[in-house]
Amino acid sequence: MSNIAGKAYAMNVITPIRWYMVWINRLIFKIALNRPSTLKGLITLSLIHYARWVIIPRNAFPRLDENQPKEDLNYAYMLFFSNFNGSWDQYVDSFTFAIPAGLDLFWKWNVRYPKSVPLTPFHDYIRHNQIDTAHYYNAYPMAASNDVKSAKKVKKALIDFNAVSSDKAPDDFLKDYNKLLNDLQLQLGEMKPTPIVSLSSYEVKKRYEQTQTH
Amino acid sequence: MTQNLDLTDIQGNIIKAYGAYNYQKARYLFLRIDKGDKGRKFVGAITTKVTSAVPWEKSSKDTDSAVKPQATTNIAFTFAGLKALELPMASLRGFPEDFIMGMAKRKDILGDDGPSDPQNWDNIWKEEVHAWISINGQSIDAVIKRYDWVLEQIKASDGGVTLLTGHRGENGEDDLPYQDASVLYDATGTPTPKEHFGYTDGIGDPVFEGQINVSARVLGRGKLTREGNWEPLATGEFLLGHVDEAMEYPQTAPAPWLLALNGTYMVYRKLHENIGTFNRFLEEQSKHFPGSKEMLAAKFAGRWRDNGAPIVNAPDDESKERWDKQYAEADEAGRKKMLTDFTYNQDITGAKCPYSAHIRRINPRGSLEYGVKDAYDTPGALVNRRRILRRGLPYGEVKDATRDDGNHGIIFMALNVDIQRQFEFIQQQWINYANDFKEGNDKEVLLGNHDANNPGKVVLQVEPGSGKPPHFVSKIPRLVETRGGDYFFIPSITALKLIAAGMVDPT
Ligand code: HEM
Repeated sequence: MSNIAGKAYAMNVITPIRWYMVWINRLIFKIALNRPSTLKGLITLSLIHYARWVIIPRNAFPRLDENQPKEDLNYAYMLFFSNFNGSWDQYVDSFTFAIPAGLDLFWKWNVRYPKSVPLTPFHDYIRHNQIDTAHYYNAYPMAASNDVKSAKKVKKALIDFNAVSSDKAPDDFLKDYNKLLNDLQLQLGEMKPTPIVSLSSYEVKKRYEQTQTH
Repeated sequence: MTQNLDLTDIQGNIIKAYGAYNYQKARYLFLRIDKGDKGRKFVGAITTKVTSAVPWEKSSKDTDSAVKPQATTNIAFTFAGLKALELPMASLRGFPEDFIMGMAKRKDILGDDGPSDPQNWDNIWKEEVHAWISINGQSIDAVIKRYDWVLEQIKASDGGVTLLTGHRGENGEDDLPYQDASVLYDATGTPTPKEHFGYTDGIGDPVFEGQINVSARVLGRGKLTREGNWEPLATGEFLLGHVDEAMEYPQTAPAPWLLALNGTYMVYRKLHENIGTFNRFLEEQSKHFPGSKEMLAAKFAGRWRDNGAPIVNAPDDESKERWDKQYAEADEAGRKKMLTDFTYNQDITGAKCPYSAHIRRINPRGSLEYGVKDAYDTPGALVNRRRILRRGLPYGEVKDATRDDGNHGIIFMALNVDIQRQFEFIQQQWINYANDFKEGNDKEVLLGNHDANNPGKVVLQVEPGSGKPPHFVSKIPRLVETRGGDYFFIPSITALKLIAAGMVDPT
């Protein structure tokens, strides 16, 4: 088990909400989605690959199978699912400092949510409600979301360049090529394996690899 | 909230970069504590000469200040050292994981691989180090005098402590009992703020609440506010027992309170500079760089080598001339402002100061908002908890500028309350990796742990829309190598007395 695969950490946090408060959270989500400015901090944060909040009503908690008995729940739940680059601490730190008000808004109606600052009670709250990832597959372990975004831009620009410039005379070709590089100068980072962000997760990986070679 | 620090209780090296106070020479000693009781007695003896942070007197009538000594002394301990001094388990278990493990075991986090691997460090690091004693002197004679005094205390400890040997030296030695460091001098023998690659160093150091004369120094050195002003950082980023930027007391403090209060953690690293490789690399790369060699060197560091001019305000040879002229005409305060008061917010594309530049990587100021207006709670949201105080000096001498194998580099010391969150984060995420800068795995040029078999590159951005290609600096060799180091706890003077008396009691 590890929450880390390649450059991504998968975090699942599931927190109770009083069922009669759910409508407020739904309203908040709706407003956030309709007013992109509320999410700009989240989007600007380089380390976030993906983040999603979902409300699970009290009587709709998923079951694996019809045969799994239905639970009688006292609360509705909010599932927070996020994939990010770096370690747990690095993420939670950056998250709280960049967008404390946004976090407080989303979790405000959740039972015993402490507010995002000061940090330690927030740390404890997340860790307490986090469900560790038992199985995590990452098809592109060397890619962070910034790498994917850059790669998409580079790919498109190259295809366009090829269509427009491939048959040009050398001087014009060079000019176009230089312009291409200029347009892409913020997208040319190299993709290599992740730095080791967590020694415990690194140990897990090393032990796993040992079992594979035997 | 402004608070007055108890400067009599704080060790002087935390508050003062001695190099800036005309202490041109330093000597660092490392010890092993062999016997708890005698070791504690030794700590007590050293404590009598430990230099506090009390300001040095300007006039003899100034009663709140101390006479500036010829030499200073400070002391710090590794986790193994505190164990050897027999601190109670209830105190020991309160220290953070990074400090407990020590630097060598953190090599995968720090990227200390290949030539920087602990097995290539100076011999002294192959033993367990327990304590660090630093002596800074206004002259080498003052350093030696204090060193002799420390040797007497070691002798008087009667087998309680051992001075460890194994530092590499100037003439091929590998068994020296101390590490010397010194400011570098120019041809006329005048001290300079240079390091061996030729850069001007020691300009920017964080400013935090409780320091003296904050308003005069905070520009470009504190934290950036939404209004574009600079404010001092929270004291608790640099001193335990004080409130930090997260509005709480640092969680890295051991119990009891008095053991932690006014103490901090120190990262000690001996960083060898490959001078020959650096000079050849700069020469080679500047052949096809559209600008002078000095301009290229400035792009690596973020500051020009000769006077430290920030390249973000002097991005090319022409603008540098203008900057120099203005600098020459400015008064003392104006010059300081020109050196420190800048951000990268007018340079979101990196056309002036590239994203890979040492000082932009290490302190991005407000620029991780990428020009998105009000993206974060505060422009420095991702930076304010990643700051470190630097207290280093160059060591060794460059005898042959075409070679790497001499003994020359920087004794780098970083002070912070949370090694993992501050120093290690910078080293790992910003020097050896670049996702936060949207540059993938491109490492910082000067410090990155570049791999000789698979060398990296960086992109020096140019004006967008200019049609000009960015400049690629490729095949970057390893320019700086780690030669040793460890993590230390610098206790307050009260805590030193408690440790010495065997009176640390966390119940
Ligand atoms: C041989 C190794 C190194 C060299 C040659 C070097 C050189 C420099 C130079 C020339 C400056 C600009 C002067 C100044 O702003 O004070 C600087 C600044 C700085 N360096 Fe280094 N450095 C080295 C190692 C490190 C390391 C290992 C770290 C931290 C992990 C570090 C952190 C900093 C910081 C925080 C600043 C100030 C940046 C700012 O606030 O704008 N340096 N360094």
